[in-house]
Amino acid sequence: MQKILRKKSFPQWVKKLESYKIYAPAKNGDVWNYEAVNHSEDIDLDYLNSVLSPKKIIFPQREIFLEFSTSNDGNPEINEVLPEENPSVIFGVRPCDAKALTLTDSVFGGDFDDLYYWRRRDQAILVGLACHNPPSPNCFCLSVNGSPHSKEGLDILMTDLGDRYYVESLTEKGNKLLNLGNKFFEEPKAKDKKDLEKINLASEKKIKRRIKEIKKIPPQLKEMFDSPFWDEEAMSCIRCGICTYLCPTCHCFDISDEVLSSSPIEGKRVRTWDTCQFPDFTMHSSGHNPRPDKASRLRQRILHKFQYFVERYKNYQCTGCGRCISKCPVGIDIIEVLDKVRDYGT
Amino acid sequence: MEPNPYIPKLAKIIQIKEEVRGARPVKTFRTQFLSENGFSFRCGQCAMLSIFGRGESMISISSSPLVEDYLQFSILKMGRVTSSLHDLQEGDIIGVRGPYGNGFPIEKWKGKNLIFIGGGIGIAPMWSVLHTALGKKEDYGKISLIYGARTSNDIVFKEELEELRKKIEVHLSIDVEEPEWKEFVGFVPINVLEKKPSPENAIAVTCGPPIMIKYVIQNLEALGFKDEQIFTTVENKMKCGIGKCGRCNIGLHYVCQDGPVYSWAELKNLPQEY
Repeated sequence: MQKILRKKSFPQWVKKLESYKIYAPAKNGDVWNYEAVNHSEDIDLDYLNSVLSPKKIIFPQREIFLEFSTSNDGNPEINEVLPEENPSVIFGVRPCDAKALTLTDSVFGGDFDDLYYWRRRDQAILVGLACHNPPSPNCFCLSVNGSPHSKEGLDILMTDLGDRYYVESLTEKGNKLLNLGNKFFEEPKAKDKKDLEKINLASEKKIKRRIKEIKKIPPQLKEMFDSPFWDEEAMSCIRCGICTYLCPTCHCFDISDEVLSSSPIEGKRVRTWDTCQFPDFTMHSSGHNPRPDKASRLRQRILHKFQYFVERYKNYQCTGCGRCISKCPVGIDIIEVLDKVRDYGT
Repeated sequence: MEPNPYIPKLAKIIQIKEEVRGARPVKTFRTQFLSENGFSFRCGQCAMLSIFGRGESMISISSSPLVEDYLQFSILKMGRVTSSLHDLQEGDIIGVRGPYGNGFPIEKWKGKNLIFIGGGIGIAPMWSVLHTALGKKEDYGKISLIYGARTSNDIVFKEELEELRKKIEVHLSIDVEEPEWKEFVGFVPINVLEKKPSPENAIAVTCGPPIMIKYVIQNLEALGFKDEQIFTTVENKMKCGIGKCGRCNIGLHYVCQDGPVYSWAELKNLPQEY
């Protein structure tokens, strides 16, 4: 379903979606992040990319798995705490971040469905916004099977045509949202389609960064496991983990107990984001650590994204959002690392 | 509604046995689920044990699937959760979820000689498969055990090992000499070279500290064992048990799901990160 929506009608459409919880990019100080919005007028789609991807709505940084307490007979009692039934719409999702959710889908699905993830995922409708201009100078989606107007993982893709949006619904969920605001949408004319094509073509040309010959990288990484290369590359790493915390595809987590009362015992079992960049992530209780140094941990991040994930799920575990490059305090640049990998030993 | 894989089932500790006292204590716990729907498992699989307020720890099931009355876990006191487990009393309630992992391909070993080679608490995951094989002894060839610990005090399942001697060949060792000790003194991999198990029609299973496993495999290879004849378990740190939290990741594998049991043929092709 393809429609045109005048920009001035956008808030009115959103008002029709009152039965949903609405998330949209919101500016706080100098940075954008996805927040719940109460007034449709507050949504400003003229934004650069958010610090955290909308992954945080589906897979929050901290969430409660269960609550435990002590019953009258002194034995433990547990209560499952699943996310509420709360259908949501996330506006302004960048195509790279939508694709990222298709990657975390393969991790949280499989033989054991992660009910916490799927409860939110299934209830969320993703309304994307194509990238007119690259939201970051480090964008490289074109290198990892993405594009600034990719539809992958989205329910609706909106493209800014100046005074109006080109709105394409891609799923049943998307059709439902459009139908709720039926009277605000117009049929696209030949000129709209032409403008859309022009913008899509132009937006691709504006993306300057590339991983060249990426197909050579997974087999090359396999050969480089024991290479001293990783020691050199990891030298400047301060193991802060920000590369993985901001990554829209990273999914590693910890499970721990938060104790509210120790006698009688009462508390919560929580899941929190964790990262392979921390030394104790893999450390056994004996002190033995299979990944004992920065080099082995940087190698893990790169190999997981560009070799292991490819082997397991047939996709790069990277959507080219560029966050890990922009925010690394010591300037470790995954594109540069992969460029060196490709040319290593030649 | 789908089962929530993160919610443990409650189980009562029906028996606690002190296996090893001293600086590296080991206790064996037998548990029974409070409700009727527990789980069935394969030997070599693990379960995530919870003490609410302390956390969870992945422990291999040391009883055989042939035993239906209880699940058994033999646990070395080591970190936060295992230390708390050691403080528990019979009758206490813990959480158990699982079973996780692939288990030993014991069905494929019928008709073969089985050599078990263990060190320290590494005997726990082997105890399940050893007893499953013993329960169907007629299905297998000769079964033997080479097992060592740091000192005689650190030997797990002492009494059971003496009983076991009546049924199969048992070779014990300790790392440093003690006045009363009559068997081998030295590391387990050396005892393997000493006892020279034959690779003919045989499967070797080895569990123990990573460094022991490494040299046991080297020495088995020296004795003529092929990669496909050697099996071991990988014990990486785990949190979820269901291939999602990323902690036990080795190459394209999640040890909690694709392991913990690997033949050396499989394991040598993965990154050496365990």
